[in-house]
Amino acid sequence: MIATATRTHTTVAVETIDLSVSYGDKPALKSVTMPFYRNAVTALIGPSGCGKSTLLRCLNRMNERIPDARISGKVLIDGQDIYDRRVNLTALRRKVGMVFQKPNPFPMSIFENVALGPRLHYGLRGRALHEVVEKALRQAALWDEVKDELRKSALALSGGQQQRLCIARMLAVQPQILLMDEPCSALDPISTQKIEELIRTLSEQYTVILVTHNLQQALRISHYTAFLMDGELIEWGETHCLFERPQRQETEDYLMGRFG
Amino acid sequence: MRQAEVTWQMGINWDALAARRDRVRQWRNILITRLFGSVGLLTTLLVIGLITTIAYKGAQTLSWEFLTQPPREGMSAGGIGPMIQGSILLMLGTLLLVVPLGVFGGICLAEYGEHSRIMRLMHASVAALAGTPPIVYGLFGLAIFVLKFGLGVSVLAGWFTLTLFSLPVIALTTEAALKAVPQELVDGGLALGLSRWQTLWRIALPYALPNILTGIILSLSRAAGEATPVLFTASIYYSSAQTAFGLESLRQPVANLPYYLAEGYRQPGVVPEHLIWGACLTLIIFVLLLNFSAILVRSRARRRYR
Repeated sequence: MIATATRTHTTVAVETIDLSVSYGDKPALKSVTMPFYRNAVTALIGPSGCGKSTLLRCLNRMNERIPDARISGKVLIDGQDIYDRRVNLTALRRKVGMVFQKPNPFPMSIFENVALGPRLHYGLRGRALHEVVEKALRQAALWDEVKDELRKSALALSGGQQQRLCIARMLAVQPQILLMDEPCSALDPISTQKIEELIRTLSEQYTVILVTHNLQQALRISHYTAFLMDGELIEWGETHCLFERPQRQETEDYLMGRFG
Repeated sequence: MRQAEVTWQMGINWDALAARRDRVRQWRNILITRLFGSVGLLTTLLVIGLITTIAYKGAQTLSWEFLTQPPREGMSAGGIGPMIQGSILLMLGTLLLVVPLGVFGGICLAEYGEHSRIMRLMHASVAALAGTPPIVYGLFGLAIFVLKFGLGVSVLAGWFTLTLFSLPVIALTTEAALKAVPQELVDGGLALGLSRWQTLWRIALPYALPNILTGIILSLSRAAGEATPVLFTASIYYSSAQTAFGLESLRQPVANLPYYLAEGYRQPGVVPEHLIWGACLTLIIFVLLLNFSAILVRSRARRRYR
């Protein structure tokens, strides 16, 4: 276990209040209330279909894309309810970046993948754009591998490189909160390790919220862990506390591998 | 937890049973493979036979003079220059009109299509239009563009009619191409904060472009070979002058390859048979070139980033 215990996180970056989601008649998330601390990694764990991805996708309003999704409750980011009518969706998603389970680079060059966001959001061009792209690729620990082939198709990269490219693409629009939906589940162990190191580094500057199936991963890189089951938040707390002394029977059973 | 021991013997010779099924399966495989193979071969042979017949009969007529010179001596000699130029003129104008309309129509169908009843109805209508026989377009063009709008039998009326004729197929292929864009890519764009239109323009359209281009070229190559849409709207049969490419000529009728073929064959004795075969071969080459360019465009666009 890393520096988890020595760091204290006091500011809340994101907070859900009584957040419920249903798809048609099927409830997916039941009245979840929990904080996510700034500059910390919070892992969401639980069996398949427990609602952890749903919770994550509520935080940048990606759930709205599902036609029969109904959402109630609040999600406060820096004190503002993002489901408020006045919230600008573009501004929200600029602030809250997202990486998906399967790397999804756009079918363009490596450079264009990273440049697209800053160009459209900030109107950057020329040198400034190049600088931002380089910075983002460096931050995603990909620069050294791709600096000589920025014009090559992003689809020629390996899976792990593609995922880091997606992280660079997200960082290039300068978000504050990073949502990661099982970012390593499609990757080999070495790529996974690289991404984990990257997430750890990123958490010094960003608020990271990570969905993972891999308990070891949650233990390795997260400061806080929340355990969900059947759409309910069973318990959450500092990662090592939750893993060593779970308060609820369900959590203990899950951690011992008794279901899921 | 120990399981009770299970006996599978059951007094049956399992291997013999499976062997019998295997034999049946093998025979069936051979039969089906041969059936499909022979039908496929037949189809291919038919097409090859058709093309070689036309090439054989038309080849001796084909010459630079035949392709560029106007007909002489009351259509009984000379070349088909005006018809080729007319066909190209008709295609160019149609291309300029139909591409924006068809692509925007397809975007409209793909983006608004799923939830509203009106859009589902629109989709069904466009699909029905795509299957409407070309003669219907020809008559519609005659009634509306030639007579109602008073354009007369002219290049303009031909453009509008051919545009209507190619529009549904282009709209449908554009729609299909956009719907084939992986959802992850669209999600990626939206999660990056792009608006719906930015996502469409920057991510979905470039991804769909090869297929859209293919649809455009194939639809145009079909329009290039159809005589009936231009039959009453744009065509002139007897033409001894080169096609003019001026503005005032847009109000004039124009000679073109498919109509030349239809009319030339219908009036035996006027146009000698070798000229008809030559024109036939020219039209086929014209359409094949368009089809090949579709394949080329698609593979080049695919190779770029995929």
